[in-house]
Amino acid sequence: MPVSFREKVDEVLLPGDVFSLRLPEFGSDVKAEKAVCGPGLRRNGDQVLVCKSGVLRHKAPNVYWIDSQQKRYVPAKGERVIGIITARSGDVFKVDVGGSEPASLSFLAFEGATKRNRPNVQVGDLVYAHFIIANKDMEPELACIDSCGHANGMGVFGEGGLMFRLSLGLVRRLLAPQSMIVKDLEKLFPFEMVVGLNGRVWVKAKSIQQTLIVTNLLESCENMTAQQRQTLFQRVAEGNL
Amino acid sequence: MAEEASHTFLRQFGCEQSLLSKPDGSASYFQGDTNVLSGVYGPAEVKVSKEIYDRATLEVLIQPKVGLPSVRERAREQCVRETCEAVLLSTLHPRSSLTLILQVIHDDGSLLSCCLNAACMALMDAGLPMSCLFCGITCSISVDGQIITDPTAEQEKESRALMTFAIDSAQKGVLMATTKGSFSVTELQECIAVSQKASERIFQFYRDSVFRRYSKIL
Amino acid sequence: MAAGFKTAEPLEYHRSFLKENCRPDGRELGEFRATTLNIGSILTAEGSALVKIGNTTVICGIKTELASPTVDGPTKGYVVPNVELPSLCSSRFRSGPPGEQAQAASQFIADVIESSEVIQTEDLCVEKGKLCWVLYCDIVCLDYDGNLLDACIIALLAALKNTQLPEVMINSETEQPVVDLEKKRPLKVHRHPVGSSFAVFDKTILIVDPTAEEESLSTGLMTVVMDEEGRMCCLHKPGGTALSGEKLQDCVSRAVARHTEVRKLIDKVLESMKMDT
Repeated sequence: MPVSFREKVDEVLLPGDVFSLRLPEFGSDVKAEKAVCGPGLRRNGDQVLVCKSGVLRHKAPNVYWIDSQQKRYVPAKGERVIGIITARSGDVFKVDVGGSEPASLSFLAFEGATKRNRPNVQVGDLVYAHFIIANKDMEPELACIDSCGHANGMGVFGEGGLMFRLSLGLVRRLLAPQSMIVKDLEKLFPFEMVVGLNGRVWVKAKSIQQTLIVTNLLESCENMTAQQRQTLFQRVAEGNL
Repeated sequence: MAEEASHTFLRQFGCEQSLLSKPDGSASYFQGDTNVLSGVYGPAEVKVSKEIYDRATLEVLIQPKVGLPSVRERAREQCVRETCEAVLLSTLHPRSSLTLILQVIHDDGSLLSCCLNAACMALMDAGLPMSCLFCGITCSISVDGQIITDPTAEQEKESRALMTFAIDSAQKGVLMATTKGSFSVTELQECIAVSQKASERIFQFYRDSVFRRYSKIL
Repeated sequence: MAAGFKTAEPLEYHRSFLKENCRPDGRELGEFRATTLNIGSILTAEGSALVKIGNTTVICGIKTELASPTVDGPTKGYVVPNVELPSLCSSRFRSGPPGEQAQAASQFIADVIESSEVIQTEDLCVEKGKLCWVLYCDIVCLDYDGNLLDACIIALLAALKNTQLPEVMINSETEQPVVDLEKKRPLKVHRHPVGSSFAVFDKTILIVDPTAEEESLSTGLMTVVMDEEGRMCCLHKPGGTALSGEKLQDCVSRAVARHTEVRKLIDKVLESMKMDT
């Protein structure tokens, strides 16, 4: 028997689990509960099928999704990512974002860029951009400006810093508002950090050594409980490592 | 685990997920002494010659413990591939490639079922969309007509017939079946029933191990 | 109009037929295509047969060779099957080394031979530990229109029944084998496995003997091999839609009926060959 969805929030679900959107307490012929299905969920009439393993999350009033730890990135519209310019052809750059095909990025999709005034971007540069087109049937397209034409934090990365990869689940945890990991890290020393939803993270601190410390700490956060993490950070702060 | 007289005895089994750093999903699955390591890459870029316009291209490679893959491995690859294709929602990633590599670490019987279980765990770890899960069960019928589930290599050799099934988690239907030796129809139905029963334990194990993995971020 | 519909929406086209319990070529769901058989078509081979199921054409030739048996099985000969899918038989196959389907088919035929014990490898022994026969069963597909495995099994069985092995003596002085081509004896075929293939449409509808088009549109394929005692020699379902035990039971009953049909066909052709000679 399909169980109601709401009771399963914050539980671990597996592909193949099926839930009914009808609320059981109102008898059988009530209107189905309205729900917005996010990643890992598929709707089929009144039923919801889980197609990824992970934890069911809920956001008021009716948004549901599966929080899963995967490594491969699949582009989604509006998400901000860190890409590497791999080629330039005509009026577009090809950008590797870690998905199944390279994304395109127009020369004109930078703040202040015009036909005459081309942005200074070379092959091999890193860019922070968001997807303006991302669906399974089309080539994904990036832009470094928002709809008003402002950079809004996006664009080409400057000199220095280090880019590395983390799992998509950890990256989402870093980006969550009030992320405990980021708060704990900030206490150690000041540094700049850019987090792309495609699992790429860029870090720049005062010295190379500090950059590497942040990198290693973030990588080790992957499989640690909050308790373990705090002990580790404590030891780093005391200079014991 | 005590060796019970009941039909659905399975050797001790276990799994470790995401143990490899490079693949997008990986798993190591053992049942008894049989051990298979699996890795999944994808959805990644696909070769133009293998591109399918409305779904992902799945490739399965089985690497034997020693030597190069032979015709036997090819036949197994076909079985694993078509089983995975049946449960994967590959239309969600058109024009991309999925590669599943199964490395045999040790073969002590029931190899194909171990490959299937390792494949399912790795696909789940990679976070690929699936309509349901599947598991592999091998049954052998001994000379005196007894059904042994999850046989060792020695039991396989002494058996009169050997069958491997892939069972899906939604309807407990038979996704894949391959047999060796001759047997009656009743024996076949009995083996299917036994496998369906045994599959429940494996699916419960899948759930437990995924739960353990996610318990840290609950 | 119909042709355009077929090209644009092949799946819908088939569904509209299946709704009426028939198929685009006029068959019912449980009906096989016309099966024809010609035995002994290759004169240079020890045994051969040509099978046509609808358009699917498969030829099987059996060549023999003397070899020394393995140490593990000093009283056993060898049967080496090989299925070839040349680029001639369909545009889906490329020339070059055998593809996955050809290799899987070869393995399937090898499994059927081993499981059904159609030939007992002990029969191929000439002298224990020294000399035995090797049977090379080469199966070549000439025209691929679905249901390859059924055709291969019929061709193999008919060719084996047609195979004659010459008598071999070992010269006691030189210890060299002497083959007497005048005296030939037929190979003993112990059991008669016959396969029946099924395709699953839309996860529920079962059809037998799928054509190439039906195979590519179906969601799952299955082959059941039965012998004359109603025992199963092989159940091969390489994946696809999940089936329940009851559905499998339906397939098995159909396979039993098919076995009698094919058995009759082979006997009839063998009979008519005897009449000719």
